Amino acid sequence: MRLRYGFFPGCTLESAAREVMIATQKVAGALGIELVELEGWSCCGASHIQDVDEELALALNARNIALGEALGAPILTLCNTCTLMLRSAKQRIDEDEAARARVNEALRAADLQYRGTSDITHFLWVLVRDYGLENLRKQVKRPLTGLKVACFYGCHILRPPQVMGFENPWNPRSMEMVVEALGAENVPYGERLSCCGFHAVFPAEREVLRKTGVSCRSAREAGADVIVTPCPLCHMQLDMYQPDAQQQFAESIRIPILHLPQLVGLALGFSPEELGIRRHVVDAIPVLEAKLARA
Amino acid sequence: MRTITFRIQRYDGSRSWFQEYVIPYESGRTVLWALIKIREEQDPTLTFTAACRHAICGSCAVRVNGHSVLACKTSLDELLKVFQTDVLEVTPLSNFPVIRDLVVDWRPKTERLKTVKPWLIPTQAGSAATGFAQSPQEYRRIASPTDCIQCGICSSECEQLAENPRFLDPFILNRAYRFAVDSRDAAPEEHIRPALESDLWKCLHCYQCVTHCPKEIRLDQEIAYLRQQTIRMGETDNPGARHALAFHDDVRNTGRLDEVTLPIKTEGLLRTVTRRLPFAMRLIRTGKVNPLQRPRPVRGIEGIRKIYAHVKEKEGKRQ
Repeated sequence: MRLRYGFFPGCTLESAAREVMIATQKVAGALGIELVELEGWSCCGASHIQDVDEELALALNARNIALGEALGAPILTLCNTCTLMLRSAKQRIDEDEAARARVNEALRAADLQYRGTSDITHFLWVLVRDYGLENLRKQVKRPLTGLKVACFYGCHILRPPQVMGFENPWNPRSMEMVVEALGAENVPYGERLSCCGFHAVFPAEREVLRKTGVSCRSAREAGADVIVTPCPLCHMQLDMYQPDAQQQFAESIRIPILHLPQLVGLALGFSPEELGIRRHVVDAIPVLEAKLARA
Repeated sequence: MRTITFRIQRYDGSRSWFQEYVIPYESGRTVLWALIKIREEQDPTLTFTAACRHAICGSCAVRVNGHSVLACKTSLDELLKVFQTDVLEVTPLSNFPVIRDLVVDWRPKTERLKTVKPWLIPTQAGSAATGFAQSPQEYRRIASPTDCIQCGICSSECEQLAENPRFLDPFILNRAYRFAVDSRDAAPEEHIRPALESDLWKCLHCYQCVTHCPKEIRLDQEIAYLRQQTIRMGETDNPGARHALAFHDDVRNTGRLDEVTLPIKTEGLLRTVTRRLPFAMRLIRTGKVNPLQRPRPVRGIEGIRKIYAHVKEKEGKRQ
């Protein structure tokens, strides 16, 4: 099996979520998944540029997709929002000939062409669909036995289903299937499909911090050791802002948040340090040491 | 015999409880079929609303296992398959006052709907005598938003509305959009400005409304349009617009977002220094953010800037 992707890291993997870059490269290397970073990729717009100029957002992502097409490989992202933005652009251009003509006129200025030949996928989907859970199970060196995991999907890997379409957005299972394959225990809780609120944390700070607290508290009360998310933006909201969210709650909401590639990496035998887990605001090391030592 | 168990939330005006009803499974049935069967055969006091049975009157929306659906349009077989269960929990729509059992009170929503002037403010281009003709292209802009049947599902699913009753329900934003883009409307701002003043920029981009809308109306794209228009109206002095403009400008500068300057661009230097310092120190301490490390222009930045110039020229907009 030879898996090769055009890698679209997205802005956060270059900055506040650099640990995802570290963990992903470790995991991809161990699984034999080749990631070729798209040279000159630009910000996907993060669901904000469209609020200023929809046509511009479309053209910028057409450029990103064209960079992947030039590699002749599907495009892989680690961020839910990057996945949604790129897939939305692709769907629009593929379905609307006039939009395609306009976009290609714009891309000519950058000596690029959109052809529509590359699919856009997410690391989670690659694990489940391309690599396969059976194969993943065989690679597990350190089963995460006893680690209680609350999956937090994040909106933009599920919704809107017209654009995402990987699994049913009302009751998705992909995260739980990966967690199970790694030997960890899934913990059901109320907020697994909730919005983290990250995209509105500035204009709607009070509401978003409240949501952050409710999500963390819900997982904590359900008995989870950690929350795991496939999206670095959800991670930023639930981890970096957790101390701010705590101020709105009398009871403790504390729970460490892991990135999906970190959870996979732990099961593949990498240490928390190798996966950048020391870079988190809410320290995940004690619970991992306690649980993984027992395994 | 296979059965389906319905756990239905009851409310009698003062007391709320869950009541279980078990009915025999039948294939090819809807949620509404089950509710009617329970009312007719087991409990005549079970209260819900429904009329057309064809997903056009919008009166039968309820929540099943936490997801808002039109009872008449939703297949029981699909729900049982999706949730891998024979037990379904039925509750009234969220973000509405409940009158009795599954019946909610629409009056507060109807009052709020009026704020966006959900009617045509006609241009001088037509008259009662000559009519107000539209081209097919002009009509297409209002076709999808006109599909709204005001079932309340988007309100029930909206994650911002759940935290903030000031926020306008997505169907109300849809109505503002529907008239703002109508070629026969003379005053789009009169529909848009009330939306702006009711926390338009607080939409979380959670896509719950789009995902659950039985008419698949792209409320996300409508909200984006309303926001674009507020910026064109000059309404940029708010955190939502400044945040979006920061992304827009950063990508032209380097191709990437500059996370270090984003809070300053969104909230201003003073607020950032006075309110965000503990947050920033936390990120610097854990190594999440290095204020000295800033994005450099990506390879091909000239091409990106040419794309900006091209799009702006085509749109005839300000740079």
